[in-house]
Amino acid sequence: MQNILAIIYKEVIHILRDRKTLVMVILMPLMQVMIYGYGVNTDVRHLRTYVYDQDQSYLSRRLIDAFVRSDYFKIEKKVHSLKDVREGLDRGKASAAIIIPAGFTADILKKKGSPLQMLIDGTDSTPANVALNSSQAIVSTFMQEQGLVQVPVLPVDFRPRLWYNPDLKSTFFMLPGLIALVLQLIVPMITASAIVREKERGNIEQLLVTPIKPYQLILGKITPYVVIGIVIASTILLAMHFIFQVPIRGNIITLFALTLVYLIVCLGIGLWASTISENQQQASQIVMFFAMPSILLSGFIFPRETMPMWVQYIGNFIPMTYFLKIVRGIILKGMGFIDLIDQVWPLLLMAAVVIIFSINRFGKRIA
Amino acid sequence: MNNIAIQATHLTRRFGKFTAVDDVSFSLPYGSIFGFLGANGAGKSTTIRMLCGILAPSSGTGQVGGFDVSTQPEQIKTAIGYVSQRFSLYSDLTVMENLSFYGQIYGLTNSRLHERIEEILKLTGLDQFRHRLSSDLSGGWKQRLAIANAILHQPKIIFLDEPTAGIDPISRRSIWELLYQLADSGVALFVTTHYMEEAERCNTIAFISAGKILKIGTPSGLKHEIKGQLLQVECSPLMKASQVFAKLPGVSGLTVYGTTLNLNVKDIEKAKEEVSLSAQRNGIQVVAMNSIEASLEDVFSLLDTGAKV
Repeated sequence: MQNILAIIYKEVIHILRDRKTLVMVILMPLMQVMIYGYGVNTDVRHLRTYVYDQDQSYLSRRLIDAFVRSDYFKIEKKVHSLKDVREGLDRGKASAAIIIPAGFTADILKKKGSPLQMLIDGTDSTPANVALNSSQAIVSTFMQEQGLVQVPVLPVDFRPRLWYNPDLKSTFFMLPGLIALVLQLIVPMITASAIVREKERGNIEQLLVTPIKPYQLILGKITPYVVIGIVIASTILLAMHFIFQVPIRGNIITLFALTLVYLIVCLGIGLWASTISENQQQASQIVMFFAMPSILLSGFIFPRETMPMWVQYIGNFIPMTYFLKIVRGIILKGMGFIDLIDQVWPLLLMAAVVIIFSINRFGKRIA
Repeated sequence: MNNIAIQATHLTRRFGKFTAVDDVSFSLPYGSIFGFLGANGAGKSTTIRMLCGILAPSSGTGQVGGFDVSTQPEQIKTAIGYVSQRFSLYSDLTVMENLSFYGQIYGLTNSRLHERIEEILKLTGLDQFRHRLSSDLSGGWKQRLAIANAILHQPKIIFLDEPTAGIDPISRRSIWELLYQLADSGVALFVTTHYMEEAERCNTIAFISAGKILKIGTPSGLKHEIKGQLLQVECSPLMKASQVFAKLPGVSGLTVYGTTLNLNVKDIEKAKEEVSLSAQRNGIQVVAMNSIEASLEDVFSLLDTGAKV
């Protein structure tokens, strides 16, 4: 026990004296929250829209109004020719354009029916889809409101509702996931380099001839990084709650307990990386090699449901896949331990495997 | 009480087909300094690693402080101190922090730990640098810290792997004074070195080459053994002479020393004749020719060339 404490104490001194790493550990989580909170916002709002209103009438103005009120569109400019419309879309000054023909109101009132054109920049599929769907909804609501179509009595009164995130705010989805991402990015890296550093500087050579046992060395070395991991998770949690008003609906103790399990997996990855690399650069390359698929295939950004089956299958071996469901489940849905059991046991299994495997390897490397 | 600190008996270590240490046997009593000499890759470090209990021998046995290297490595680790070839303490920790870390690893606690650290700081003169980061120490002081660290838990046996490599002569001398003090207090020291003048300071020296111990004995004994086999020739032009004399049948080795040549010969009188004859024939002017006392370096190079033949 004294050995482990001595190593923990020494490791803490290392960490405190290594200013660069310390700054990274403190600032990176905050930076990520800011970037994902403000920057990576997939909510489509206020699409810049050109209007070419050739009718300039009562109904055309009401229609434009309906678009603006929806919040999805913002009238960037009223233009006076098709050439202007084309130019706006071509140069990316507008993402959408509404073209109202002359005689719009008159034709409608005569019940002749009038064409109405909407042009959407389809380059980026996300806003294009939003524009497409919302414009259809806006126009059909508009027609009903103006009494232009009869509202039929429907045999099925269909009323979809959004739960957990009624405003569909992407911050609600992204920020809890950040806990999983940032831990995966930082923890294996700093663990691996802390161990490899001893190898690089020859410290391990000296430790080998002391009575210290490999498991004591490992425990002593990784304990401070568990604490760092918890600090990182707390930082993100506080920032997302107080800056971006993400509600924390579940039990915070369950959240931290499961975060600890995930941390052990991350530490194990770092430990394993340290056993197969000779220097810190190699270690960080190995860690990055595993971080990339984790970010892309775990469902952090892209929903796993849209991926082909075999890709989803690969995702099943990524710890982040499970932990993402856990953090999102606890924070957004208030899920408990039992609700998450399908995610918890694979994570526990991974923690056990990765730790046993890497301690074993570490012991062999030393001997 | 048994006075033997280290006892190696037919110690052998193979890595695949390569034999790094081949049938090494020697013994070292407490209170003496054992110099282990050999070129890089001769098997010095492998021998040390086996004796420290971190590498199992392929065959043969070793006893360190009464413990067996193959079966009791853990006991050996607490009984010995180790100073490695390169500085292997923590450079971002201060002198005190390093000592207190290793002290704790060796099981020293609280007041005992403090006491020992103070004693060691005084003994090594590191007192003045106690709060300095070890990366800010000069090479000589770093090495003193490494030694301080190795003797903190008062081991009776210390291994030093090239403890003075790359250190200035004055620091080297003071480090050796420290080693003498330790030997005087009954500690057995196992030292590897490249410096011949350091080898002279040891009680016993062993030459190792290609994993085999070629010679073992006291420095003066070894020098005595090859007495009458070393001929110093002062001549010019030196470089031409060195090429000519090296080919003489009676000359087995040749070293250039400033303005003279040292020839390793079998028979001193015969060699003198050969040299003067070939000097006349090749227009080399011989100023003086003397049989000289061998230095350890001569012993070393003689043995090393002998081993290759």
